[in-house]
Amino acid sequence: MSAITLEKLTKVFATGVTAVSALDLEVADGEFVVLVGPSGCGKTTALRMVAGLESITSGSVAFDGRVVNNVSPRSRDVAMVFQNYALYPHLTVYQNIGFALENKKVHKDERHRRIVATASIVGLSEMLTRKPRQLSGGQRQRVAMARAIVREPSVFLMDEPLSNLDAKLRVQMRAEVLRVHQSVGAATLYVTHDQTEAMTMGDRVAVMRDGVLQQYGTPRSLYERPANLFVATFIGSPEMNLYEAGVSSDGSLALGSQRLEMPEAGTRLAGHQGRKVIVGIRPEDLTTASAGARGTLTADMRLVEMLGDEQHAYFSIDATPFGGAGTAGQDEGLLATGVPNGVARVDSRVPVRAGERLSFTVDTARLHFFDPDSGLAIGR
Amino acid sequence: MSERERAAATVAVPKGRRFPPWPQAGRAQRGLGAEESRRERKRRERLEERDAAIPVELYGLKRGTIPLLTACCVLFAVFTLIPIVWIVINSTKTQANIFQSFGFWFARPFEFFHTFGNLFRDVDGDGTYSHWFYNTVLYSVVAGVGATVLAALGGYGFARFEFRGSRLFFAVIIAGLLVPITLVAVPLYLVYAKVHLINSIWGMIMPSMVTPVGLYLMRTYVELSIPRELLDAARIDGASEVRIFFRVALPLMVPGLMTVLLLSIAGTWNNYILPLIIFSTNNLFPTTVGMGLWLQHAGNSGDTNLFPLLVMGGLITIIPMIALFALLQRYWRGGLLLGSVAN
Repeated sequence: MSAITLEKLTKVFATGVTAVSALDLEVADGEFVVLVGPSGCGKTTALRMVAGLESITSGSVAFDGRVVNNVSPRSRDVAMVFQNYALYPHLTVYQNIGFALENKKVHKDERHRRIVATASIVGLSEMLTRKPRQLSGGQRQRVAMARAIVREPSVFLMDEPLSNLDAKLRVQMRAEVLRVHQSVGAATLYVTHDQTEAMTMGDRVAVMRDGVLQQYGTPRSLYERPANLFVATFIGSPEMNLYEAGVSSDGSLALGSQRLEMPEAGTRLAGHQGRKVIVGIRPEDLTTASAGARGTLTADMRLVEMLGDEQHAYFSIDATPFGGAGTAGQDEGLLATGVPNGVARVDSRVPVRAGERLSFTVDTARLHFFDPDSGLAIGR
Repeated sequence: MSERERAAATVAVPKGRRFPPWPQAGRAQRGLGAEESRRERKRRERLEERDAAIPVELYGLKRGTIPLLTACCVLFAVFTLIPIVWIVINSTKTQANIFQSFGFWFARPFEFFHTFGNLFRDVDGDGTYSHWFYNTVLYSVVAGVGATVLAALGGYGFARFEFRGSRLFFAVIIAGLLVPITLVAVPLYLVYAKVHLINSIWGMIMPSMVTPVGLYLMRTYVELSIPRELLDAARIDGASEVRIFFRVALPLMVPGLMTVLLLSIAGTWNNYILPLIIFSTNNLFPTTVGMGLWLQHAGNSGDTNLFPLLVMGGLITIIPMIALFALLQRYWRGGLLLGSVAN
């Protein structure tokens, strides 16, 4: 039985805005699930409904099979970490951590033992007498975590807990959160807008957009088999390259004036011969090749970003990029004419210079295809 | 010089104006360029140094505006302080000297302690000042504390709970701000007569406990300084709403509540109309009404020696308010700032 079950969970605000629509999600016991999506996609609202802080318009939230729709937040026995930590500013770290136990009327000695034990888990043993304002951002974050852990909850909710930290601390705290999760072992629902955080932390990741669940699966399945254009472009950095392409009857692809042989097209693109599709190419699936070789795409290098271990080569290619409705559209600026319309991830030892013309071999087995009308993946 | 040449010259160099208007060029023409420019440079450097030390703009105002504003403030302070200085000086005088000697200097004999002693006596049969003072303190403290409690509850409720008709309810309360007490004096008296609140201290205290300003202030204060997440966190932590109010919200509302306490105590302390309407028994009067009675008598019969008592009574009446403001200033100033910069 799963620890958290959301069934057709829907939230319509009084203003008529639908924040979450018919969300189905299951979190297994001890699983770490990340809810990810751009801001305003309803992920926080969904989390707040699970916590009981937001009323449910329709559908249900169940813990261990027991529907808790009408259970008040204080009786749901969930722990939550808030984006801005929401520490009680007038209480010490000790009192902050112990507040929930105080409410549960846990005996004083027992309370003390648990507070001290929890503080040592998150490395706050020296800070117990301090007030929140005397702590750094990372320490406040730890207090917020400790406050949740100390209750030994069966359900753990986190609302963008790392977004107020600087980049370096965030990476550090990611590992910390996972370590704590492993030691506590509670089912965790973690909300973030950062796809890197989602990919690195989640056992499973749920991608949301405009209140609708787009895909739910392991990070690997989201990356390798995105269900639609939105997931394809939202997950992965740099973003997947998308072009409009025609499928000819012999199974080859026409990208602008270029042709790409597709040996396995017969199976993957069956029924799409003679029609348009959107072809998606991950930047790492393009490898530099000698000019004029078969099965290659020719591109003009516009800009090369050297990252040390690899290079991001922004190129323009004679093909129509697809950036329309349905994509996450993070790199919208690249779609203007004359500027790069694609990016390749190139080994740092390969000499690539802006201004030169290069040929790329395409790993056709790893191409992604989408229906231009529905945006759904083809041949998954 | 022809007519035309003279006209052109008049146009080029208007009467009484130096030409050219920029001094450096003039000096350079007179052959003093090198020496003068060194002095100029020193002056420029001095100005630049000053600009570095004092910002050209303070609080978004030009530097020149600051002394002007300071002067205005000083004038206003003087205007406010003059009556207080007068009352302090004249509290030491006899009735004759209050009228005959110079108002802003002392005059013998020194009657301060004699007059002060009279505040505890029933001088003309109207009652003693000390009793009225006790009444004022009683009404103000009870009403002030009550108003603060109500403002805390109401402000928190309006700021953090959405309920049916909450906006309308709040609008009605705020509309109460617009109605002056003088307007409702007669209906208030009639209602009071029906419910037996005439000559009752509760008739004085209960309406003073209702402060639309305090409620409005607290609502704004809670909205700005107590984030919703904090209350959500407490709910998740398993606290009941009552416990959240007392344990989480109330401690954070203290600076705001101090402001409300101060304003409502001062409001009741200085209230004249309400006690005038509802009290007809002298020993229920607060100082405002009691001294009003004295003033009437003093005006009618000049020789009752009531004027020194009025001056002394006025002085004693304002001292607690000044002390209270000084004592609580830390809270209410901090409170106002805290509300505005809440992150």
